[in-house]
Amino acid sequence: MKDPAKRIVITGAGAVSGAGSDVASIWEGISAGRTAIVPYEQWSGENWPVKIAAEVKENNRTLVADRKLHKSISRTDLLGLYAVDQAVQNSGLLDYRESLGDSETTRFNDRTGIMSGSGGGNYRSNYDFLPLISETKGDLHAFGSELPNMVTPMWLLKNLPNNVLCHAGIRYQFKGTNGCVTNQCLSGLQSVVESSEAIRAGQADRMIAVGHDSPFEPENVRYYHGHGLMSESVPRPFDKDRDGTVFGEGAAAVNLESESSAMDRGATVSGELLGSGCVSDARGILRLREDGDGVSRAIELALADAGISADQIGMICAHGNANKASDESEARGIRRVFGETGIPPVTGFKWAYGHLIAASGVIDLVLILEALRHQRVPGIPTLKEVDPNLSPFPVSSSPQETASDIALVICRGFGGMNLSVLLRAR
Amino acid sequence: MAEIPKHRRVAITGVGMVTPVGNDAATTWANLRVGKSGCGYPESFDASGFSTRIGAEVKDFHPDKILPRNKLLKYASRPHGFALAAATEAFADAGISPTESDAHRWGLSVGAGMMSVSFDDLKTVQRFAAPDGNFDPDGLLDDDFPVSPVSFSRWQSNSGLGLLTQQFGIRGYATSVHTACASGGQALGTALKVLRRGQCDYMLAGGFDSMLNPVGLSGFCLLGAVSEDNDTPEKASRPFDLTRNGFVLGEGAGFLVLEDWEKATERGASIYAELAGDGNSLSCYRITDSPPDGNGPIQAIEQALRDAGISPEEVDYINAHGTSTQMNDQSECAAMKAVMGQSIDQVHVSSTKSCMGHLIAAAGAVEAIVCSLAIRDGIAPVNANLETPDPDCDVNLVRGESRSVPIRAALSNSLGFGGSNSSLVFRHPHFVSS
Repeated sequence: MKDPAKRIVITGAGAVSGAGSDVASIWEGISAGRTAIVPYEQWSGENWPVKIAAEVKENNRTLVADRKLHKSISRTDLLGLYAVDQAVQNSGLLDYRESLGDSETTRFNDRTGIMSGSGGGNYRSNYDFLPLISETKGDLHAFGSELPNMVTPMWLLKNLPNNVLCHAGIRYQFKGTNGCVTNQCLSGLQSVVESSEAIRAGQADRMIAVGHDSPFEPENVRYYHGHGLMSESVPRPFDKDRDGTVFGEGAAAVNLESESSAMDRGATVSGELLGSGCVSDARGILRLREDGDGVSRAIELALADAGISADQIGMICAHGNANKASDESEARGIRRVFGETGIPPVTGFKWAYGHLIAASGVIDLVLILEALRHQRVPGIPTLKEVDPNLSPFPVSSSPQETASDIALVICRGFGGMNLSVLLRAR
Repeated sequence: MAEIPKHRRVAITGVGMVTPVGNDAATTWANLRVGKSGCGYPESFDASGFSTRIGAEVKDFHPDKILPRNKLLKYASRPHGFALAAATEAFADAGISPTESDAHRWGLSVGAGMMSVSFDDLKTVQRFAAPDGNFDPDGLLDDDFPVSPVSFSRWQSNSGLGLLTQQFGIRGYATSVHTACASGGQALGTALKVLRRGQCDYMLAGGFDSMLNPVGLSGFCLLGAVSEDNDTPEKASRPFDLTRNGFVLGEGAGFLVLEDWEKATERGASIYAELAGDGNSLSCYRITDSPPDGNGPIQAIEQALRDAGISPEEVDYINAHGTSTQMNDQSECAAMKAVMGQSIDQVHVSSTKSCMGHLIAAAGAVEAIVCSLAIRDGIAPVNANLETPDPDCDVNLVRGESRSVPIRAALSNSLGFGGSNSSLVFRHPHFVSS
């Protein structure tokens, strides 16, 4: 793809997680092998089997200055807005818009879009109703009549899955093509893909893509642990003793634009999106294919979309959620594409900032871009012994050398979803 | 004259609906044509204590009769049941579905609702973890607290997607979107884009939702967004009427089979209409309020027409978002007038929410099917309950009864809380734009 109008470049990024409140500090922590998964503070874990998580340290006021928003939207939305802010500041879009005349400004706003990837509703959002249910003891008539006295009128608006889209729009007046993906773990990274496709198709000149989520809450921990998906220690992706994932919370955002848009305004380009592939396993909500067929098909589609071959890839950022079956099928899927010996260095970051569910793929994208720029594949410090069922599989507890300036990001979700994205450092 | 863009054309070859006025597309369409209301008093829960006691419920719905002995139904919530039923109908109608050899060329794009838990599950949490109303996480650790894989599976943000891909063996691109009331429209717009960029040859696309439950209805009652005409449910939804006072909450699903035009014509498929254009904008105004001058919806409608290569005078029917709230209807009319210019008097406009109520995340998908059927039959369905037209909404509303009128192209608007606006353009399969 040589046409600069169709070449998609990254000109801004932002991230917030337990491991740091901007891209540089998260990268610094990962490079130093520091995990942010520590005893949590949201509630007392004393009686809980799972006592750790990667909580964001920022309070609501440092995330978003406008105090009115603290009551009218959820914490996950504040995280998303914080990451959008960073990406927008980092991209220099606003200074450029300032320099435009009135009609050019209108066109700029109409041609700039926002796409969010959201966790959708969480369990916690419904707890505003608990006092009312308790008070009315199962009497639905009383529930209805007492409702206005006991539940905030803002309840519905506070919990809209598309709140980040709405409030980022109001803040920046970016009125172009938009959307909100609620596709479980794929949400954030799929919003990046749909954003880049919107630019390729000429529907927008630039897009902010953001993923945000705060899956760390008691009910979710209870269910994930009850279903054998959650570890009681820091996750060990691809290790023989891996036993599940651990939640974090956070968000990441990128500013994407066509190369011609970036050149026109003299923007600093940090990377280029080369292509993507997305497929479904069609095996149900929680089941996945053991043979990794969905993973390999997603990678092959991304390679074809980018017009490159597997041996050009320098590193892989795996989904690596440290679930037994998921990691194994992922490794198999990777091997189907690269062969036994052709796999480039593989890493994954969930040991550092936990599993961010809807934001997981997009924060991985932002951090693997840092890895490309530093020409260094970070190690997975929790890895003690690679699962012999997977080997040979080039993961390591210490840093590895990159084989090129191209990375592959793999993101997987419930519903048998597989998404892979190829990017290059610039 | 607008130029027809040179990209892959997309045919609508199958439709399926479950709505408050019918549990299939034919019944729904027949009732919309005669302006029959699906609004009444909900039977699935006691709404008698709420400020709004009315709703547009799906009636006599038995998914096990549509999908007999189907193991997936156990994992299906009420809206998932609507989705599976409507999608089953759409595939049967299209006469084509994924096979082992082409499953990877089939995709799925759904607009899913925002409900994240059932009321019964929430009551269970209250019983264990908030007996006095204050939430204590440790209550969830009780040995008897149910950690059911069924509930867990049902309430993931993409559970509907997972059930649909599994049921029909769809193995290509799949996505689930939510932009409140614009969800269904945006899901179809996404499907159109996926087909155009060649990632799939066929897509199942649609939306499903049910907020007609104690928590969902609460949300809208608290906001004051729903009509409180509790004594006259059938007249409560009256888009564009001067006396309108809110929408009626509905539920349901609509699904379409979309197909590469060449493939559809090669196999001799019966084509309802071409899904010809998609427009998509953000109002950037307020979270629930619509911009009075139509700034936002205007860009979506303009984009959709441009994308389809259709000029305003070629549009014969608009299925309006028309929720029956004061602000939406006024703002939407301002937008329609701004874009259509002098053609606005020729184009027939109606909101079928006047009969069906507001299906929220399913609305845009169901209304896309209404446009397809309107084109096929040359009928602009009636905007029911329009007795005192609002002078601020002086467009050519289909008042009194449905109109027989050839429809070359139709436009459907979906405008969501949060400011997302979706417009879709449908073209008659034999209409060649001048």
